[in-house]
Amino acid sequence: MSVQDSLETVNWDVSEEAHITVDNDHCVTCEDKPCLHLCPAECFDYQEDQKGGIYFAYEPCVECGACMVFCANDPEKGAVSWSKSEGGKGVEFDFG
Amino acid sequence: MTATDFDVVVVGAGRAGTAAAYKLAQSDLDVALVERAKQPGMKNVTGGVLYGQVVADLVPEFPEEAPLERHVVEHNIKLLHGDAEVSIGYRDMALREEPNYTLMLGKFDRWFVDRAVDEGAVFLPETTVRDVTQSRDHAVVHTDRENGDLTCEAVVGADGVNTTVGRATGIQRTMHNRDMALSVKQVIDVGRDTIEERFNLDSDEGAAYIYTGFPEGAPTIGYFIYTFDEYISVGAVGGLEVLRWLGDEGYGESGTPLYSLLEEFMELDTVRPYVQGESVQEYQGILLPELSYDSLPERYDRRVALVGDAAGLVLNKGYTFRGLDYGIKSGLLAAESAIAADRAGDWDGFGRRYDEWLEDSYVLEDMRQHRHLPKFLENERMYGAYPGIATETLRGMYSAGSDGEGLTWRQALQAFRRSDAGVLDLLKDGYRGFRSL
Repeated sequence: MSVQDSLETVNWDVSEEAHITVDNDHCVTCEDKPCLHLCPAECFDYQEDQKGGIYFAYEPCVECGACMVFCANDPEKGAVSWSKSEGGKGVEFDFG
Repeated sequence: MTATDFDVVVVGAGRAGTAAAYKLAQSDLDVALVERAKQPGMKNVTGGVLYGQVVADLVPEFPEEAPLERHVVEHNIKLLHGDAEVSIGYRDMALREEPNYTLMLGKFDRWFVDRAVDEGAVFLPETTVRDVTQSRDHAVVHTDRENGDLTCEAVVGADGVNTTVGRATGIQRTMHNRDMALSVKQVIDVGRDTIEERFNLDSDEGAAYIYTGFPEGAPTIGYFIYTFDEYISVGAVGGLEVLRWLGDEGYGESGTPLYSLLEEFMELDTVRPYVQGESVQEYQGILLPELSYDSLPERYDRRVALVGDAAGLVLNKGYTFRGLDYGIKSGLLAAESAIAADRAGDWDGFGRRYDEWLEDSYVLEDMRQHRHLPKFLENERMYGAYPGIATETLRGMYSAGSDGEGLTWRQALQAFRRSDAGVLDLLKDGYRGFRSL
């Protein structure tokens, strides 16, 4: 089962406002692009035509916070601006 | 003196925050329990067993009326090595005397918040905290609700591993890859009868399995299987720094996605029979603090105290994960400090007193005793050489193909000599293991 199939089991009440944004200027100098394999929801996608190769979608985020740690908090990266989703919005787990 | 909206605002309705709110309300303090989800539990994820004595001491309805999954009577540690698995199972009916359960937070947290509300706590859902400030005689919790600033005497930050309270107040230092582990998990519908047959359990009994050794030699990567009533959860845990560089699936040919490792793990011949199911019901991802006692961040500043995951109070012991009960205990100590501050009419010492009591509690006693364990568990030999030695020794004992190779202890010695580990390594690791467990 692929992670995309796994994500089919998850529910969201998607906010109109992105709680995480990516400044692609920082992706240009990022060589290893850990977001592509460390985000457990594949919110980051490699797309040739994007600046720095990164396309980011906040909608399928499972709100784990990994991108804050591996990108926002890394002084050599810092493309991600991270905050918690707006009250009542975002991922909704049934089981936990 | 400013009149405040509440005596205490608790940020986050997980187990730690809810325990704090319950205790405060029980002692007739005005307490708000702020939660960003629509309902308790919707943002919460665990892969653990609730060691429930702390809840039993607090809530009279626990465990009888709480929505729990299975009473844990068996723990199993499994070392994987290629196609082989060496396991140490511990099943004990004495465990039935202890209130330790598997649980689903979607149900449990809702139940627990209802109990806190019964005691008089004010529950504020769909409210995300954006900032916390302190002035001379009160604190303010700034939320994303219209006119949503809540003034109070003190704040309990129970808002999880990515704590806004800790970051906004500067109490928590900046976390990096080496401080954090990622976990992904699938909840699979297996069916009650199948679970009981597969794991050899009676109707309300549960089992917790922990695996290491896959991929061979990869440090800090582990897996778990927990049995619920009709479902099982199967998950993987790995340090962010290890996942960043391990393998070659990532961009620039380094790194491996954790969900790929979980998929591969679930396909192993030794694992597949346990985890096959009807359908995947849910997929989750979460960060866990992976700190040792010596690298724990600060936990307080005057009128603000951090509890639970927000304070990094999680311990991977290698054979079990502790965190749920540590969170609850720390929440209760923050509540007790607030109660003492209220009686004395002096809130400035709220955070410091909480921290002192936490230092004296079993939570930090436990973390102090295991302070060398995280380092020990980073040792690659634990994930490659040692499971290999164990497998080869047992293969020598049970495989007819190795007849004539001599006595068991001689085979063990040969397996050890064939491995990459040296005698000095074994002695050092044995000593470290002894000291940290």
